[in-house]
Amino acid sequence: MIAAMLSLVLLGPFFVPYSPYAISGLPNQPPSFAHPFGTDFLGHDLLSQVIYGAYPSLLVGLGAAVGATAFGFFVGLLGGYYRRLEWLLSASTDSILSIPALPLLILIGIIYPVNNTIIVEGLILVLWAPAARAVRAQVASVKKLQYVEAARTSGMTDWQIIWRVIVPKVGAIAMAYFILLVSVSIVLVTALEFIGIGNPEIVSWGSILYFAQQYGFYLGDWWWVLAPGLSITIVATGFALAGFSFEEILNPRLRT
Amino acid sequence: MDFLRRRIVTSIVVFVVVLNLDFILPRLAPGNAAEILAAGSKVPAAAIALLEQRFGLNQSVYVQYELYLKGIFLSWPPDFGVSYGYYPATVTQLFFLRVGWSLLLLLCSLAVGIAFAYAAAAVTSLRRGGTFEKAVLQISVLVNSTPIFWSALGLLWIFSITLGWFPLYGSVSFDTTSSLSFVISVTEHAILPVATLGLSIFGESYLLLRGSTQEVLKSDYVLAARSRGLLDRTIASGYILRNSMLPLISIMSFSLASLISRLVLVEAVFGYPGIGDLLIDAVRLHDFPVVEGTLFYLTVMVIVGGLLGDLLLLRVDPRLRSE
Repeated sequence: MIAAMLSLVLLGPFFVPYSPYAISGLPNQPPSFAHPFGTDFLGHDLLSQVIYGAYPSLLVGLGAAVGATAFGFFVGLLGGYYRRLEWLLSASTDSILSIPALPLLILIGIIYPVNNTIIVEGLILVLWAPAARAVRAQVASVKKLQYVEAARTSGMTDWQIIWRVIVPKVGAIAMAYFILLVSVSIVLVTALEFIGIGNPEIVSWGSILYFAQQYGFYLGDWWWVLAPGLSITIVATGFALAGFSFEEILNPRLRT
Repeated sequence: MDFLRRRIVTSIVVFVVVLNLDFILPRLAPGNAAEILAAGSKVPAAAIALLEQRFGLNQSVYVQYELYLKGIFLSWPPDFGVSYGYYPATVTQLFFLRVGWSLLLLLCSLAVGIAFAYAAAAVTSLRRGGTFEKAVLQISVLVNSTPIFWSALGLLWIFSITLGWFPLYGSVSFDTTSSLSFVISVTEHAILPVATLGLSIFGESYLLLRGSTQEVLKSDYVLAARSRGLLDRTIASGYILRNSMLPLISIMSFSLASLISRLVLVEAVFGYPGIGDLLIDAVRLHDFPVVEGTLFYLTVMVIVGGLLGDLLLLRVDPRLRSE
């Protein structure tokens, strides 16, 4: 499913019937042969828009997931390895988990000029905490193992122990979090665009839905909402399931 | 009481963090608040200077910080400034005007979602692998990864636009004459938002309950109960679910924050005049004092909710009391 979506993003733009920015038909048309997903209020072809819209949505989602995982991984490593830093880690993760993400992102989106960088940074800010928490727990338990002790007595420095002994051990759990975070951040990005934080000029899944809600949905233009929403759901479910099965492989206790 | 003390310390930490975040974030932005406000509109320089004075923006950061804290702690109601969008109204007034509707949605959805999840878990916990169990599981997984604003749009389209059973937006119609028709109108308006949010809570808590019943099922005391010949029903309600509720309570108080994010989206779709709608308006009007104040109050709500959850946990779980 994920593979299908990725190939859609990469190859799709070569096959789309119309430019997503061009007016290619009558406005507000339900699906037909010429326009399989229908047209919007100006006559843009929705199939082309959905295919083009995949790119910005997935790009920002992936970027945020990479950043949040990397940051969470790093913080978790330090917090788990150095006991003295633990209070700082738990204070910051608790805070991030208790501050509602969407209002915080709205605040950021209002204050700063909105562009992809700001959105990715905002998403990293709200998403890193669970990964950090999981990595910290894992590091703390790995640290108790005997071969870490052995590495220390053989004269390895803290950095060497962290990078050569602990990182390979906890890398897998970070990977699982990464896949889950892709799903979460794609949904969040789309949600932000949907409520109007984002660049409505660029066609993305969220901005299609934003215009749909502003201009056509109350008239009953269901096709305007169906395709982009379904795409987000499919991608999010795909990544979520991949993440879960990854976690299940790593953690045999979860298997039923 | 070690448990409670730890949680109170955490709450205080979170409170301090959000207090400072609310102060720092707007001040990290390029330009100052008055300039941002004026950007794109024709505001005379004198007015900008006046605004700067009003917010203390022409003073040093320390003085600003002092003013900010004084505004929150030393005045009643707490002073988060004046809304730009609804000019003479203060942020605090706006928040408390709207929060009732949001709480109504939130509490009803929590009750509905958890009640259904509990019932479903009670029926399925002892019948693993049955058709019903599989169906419920698939629904929960699907619900969990569907963006809530999309499922909200879907329900809105089916029940309000196509079938016309429920109103399109708002929380109550204007032409209610008696208190009875008021109640009916409020219920009519709340059903779809509550259904959307409740469904999402259902998915989340069912998966959680399922996970924790799995653990409990393997425990020795369930085996012991079974070997004593207790009825399946007694085991399910008295042993399995009671013990599986504990992780649900502790995780629910944690996911309160994410619940509020979802609430915002649901209100946006249904045009429900709660906090979410206030935030959406603020996005449109570039009204950042409102967002700032709302973020603060919402976080306080999450903290209070979390502490209530902890108290509940203390009541339900005797092990924590003796700790």
